[in-house]
Amino acid sequence: MDSAGAPAMSEFDVELREVTKHFGDVVAVDRVSLAVERGTFLTLLGPSGCGKTTTLRMIGGFEYPDSGEIYIRGVPMGRTPPYRRDTSMVFQNYALFPHMSVAENIAYGLRERKVDKATIERRVEEMLRLVELEGFGKRRPRQLSGGQQQRVALARSLVIEPTVLLLDEPLGALDLKLRKQMQLELKRIQERVGITFIYVTHDQDEALTMSDRIAVMNRGRVEQYGSAEEIFERPRTRFVADFMGAENILDAEVVQADGRSALVRVAGAQLPVRGDGLQAGQRVALVARPYRVKLLEDPAHQDALWQATVQERVYKGSSVAYLLQLATGPQLRAEVLVGAGDGHAEPGRQVGVAIDPTHVVIVRE
Amino acid sequence: MASSPATAQMTTARAGRQLPTLLPVLATVGLPTLLLTLFLLLPLVLVAVYSVYSTDPITGIMQPDFTLANYERIVSSPIYRKVFLRTLEIALLCTGIALLIAYPMAYTIGALVPRERQTLLLFLVIIPFWTSYIVRTYGWIGILQSGGFLESVLSLIPGVDAGLDVLYSRPAVIVGFVHVFLPLMILPIYASARNLDHRLIEASYDLGASPWRTFLRVTLPLTMPGVVAGATLFFIATFGAFVTPQLLGGTEDLMMGNVIADQFGEAFNWPFGAALSVVMILIVVLSLALLFRFADLESIYG
Repeated sequence: MDSAGAPAMSEFDVELREVTKHFGDVVAVDRVSLAVERGTFLTLLGPSGCGKTTTLRMIGGFEYPDSGEIYIRGVPMGRTPPYRRDTSMVFQNYALFPHMSVAENIAYGLRERKVDKATIERRVEEMLRLVELEGFGKRRPRQLSGGQQQRVALARSLVIEPTVLLLDEPLGALDLKLRKQMQLELKRIQERVGITFIYVTHDQDEALTMSDRIAVMNRGRVEQYGSAEEIFERPRTRFVADFMGAENILDAEVVQADGRSALVRVAGAQLPVRGDGLQAGQRVALVARPYRVKLLEDPAHQDALWQATVQERVYKGSSVAYLLQLATGPQLRAEVLVGAGDGHAEPGRQVGVAIDPTHVVIVRE
Repeated sequence: MASSPATAQMTTARAGRQLPTLLPVLATVGLPTLLLTLFLLLPLVLVAVYSVYSTDPITGIMQPDFTLANYERIVSSPIYRKVFLRTLEIALLCTGIALLIAYPMAYTIGALVPRERQTLLLFLVIIPFWTSYIVRTYGWIGILQSGGFLESVLSLIPGVDAGLDVLYSRPAVIVGFVHVFLPLMILPIYASARNLDHRLIEASYDLGASPWRTFLRVTLPLTMPGVVAGATLFFIATFGAFVTPQLLGGTEDLMMGNVIADQFGEAFNWPFGAALSVVMILIVVLSLALLFRFADLESIYG
């Protein structure tokens, strides 16, 4: 790849190469590389302290990397201050100017760009319409609800037509119902304006709902970068699987491997799995969604990988959720559809447990 | 009049319930009211009353009377108008200079220095208040007088004329005022700088405003309540002061405070001194009313 050739032609709106940031002795961001294609809704997802906000702030120019480089539309940013970057940030608590009206807040960036008055007025009206706040222009931010302030912050950033819109947990302060509603609305607005959004959150549901791409971060590193589906269905590390809410994560060991497929030992049973690059003796983990776990009423059934005792049985209408205690130690959660001919059992019963090996995911530690 | 026993009982019960709530009300509202009445309102009323008294032309003794002669004398005399204007000029100039010094200091302490180190710096700002105003002003005499500290320091620089005559001049008065009353200005500005949400500054940068533009459009408007409060305190203190011009100024630098002090002291004309005081108070109150009306502080607080 020729990185020196025609940087302005970059197909990526944002690119991070080996970006590292320390705060004192703490490595906040550790050699992060990411390339974000134009028009993508990217979510930086991870627990607090994983470096997601620092990464976002570095893209916005509020912090500078200790090493590595951030490119916006192929241009290296170096120590370019925020006011000379073509990015805009929606802050966690909105950071609306309290001494200005809603319309003045939205007009702020346009006035700095010396846009003429008539155009400013027209653009502000357009933005108020986009975020469904027509008629609110003269109000003060504090006269608005949290959700409305959120929209003003969004409008204030979008009106300057940034290359990238940065959003730092913007829905964190809203209640659940409003948050769900705003998630869909954000996605709608992003599709409408077609700008690249980089969104920071610790909420995996939020990430799955909105994102084209998710970068799961942990301890300053990107653990996995991929589509929402990839991250959810095929987590690559135990951390990602755990963070995405996988309920069954079992310690496993590779018994033999031939590059494309492998045999793993899980809780005493051996299971053939697909797996690129696994090596014999490697310690891994097996992830199986509860609805992939089969309950066999006969513990000695020929498909049974393990024997287990039913510990809990929760009827959930269309399905029944089970907590199974395997005879060999770990617990498994199973979700069995009602009336689909699958096995069911009462608590205390001995059952057999099976998993379809084509539906398990092997993750690294 | 026959009142039913039930009503009487109710009244007693209500009085019994009100008694415990009366005490805190007395303590929180009553005590300050009493103190303000004793030490602020009463003296003010006395001054206002004295200002319409007359003095016996021969003995100079104050006599209860109602005359506007004292006020006529103030309005008709060009000398007092001149002193009033000079006082105003010095007070405004000092307020302006103090603002230029206090704002950067207060903003640095309140918004740029980490919270845990702010207390120490604030402490350093307040420490001079523990020394008497007069002592601090005398200190400037030692510094500014010919052969004093300033001259000794300046004489070390080659080519600088050693003959320095700043004491008993307007610059000496200004330096004295700015130094002595600076904390009055710093504290309110510090308070509003401390409350300034740093994310608003980041948001301004983010939207394309340079640091200077951000200062004009966000920082300054949002710290304006502190600036107004600080400037007001400083101006009032300077406007009414008489020690600084007396100790550091020449005869051309005498201010209203000195004239009033002289009327009460040397001239022993209390009614005239009182009338001058009333005029001073009215000027301050009126200008404050105008300031708060036009400064539009409402818009800052939302």
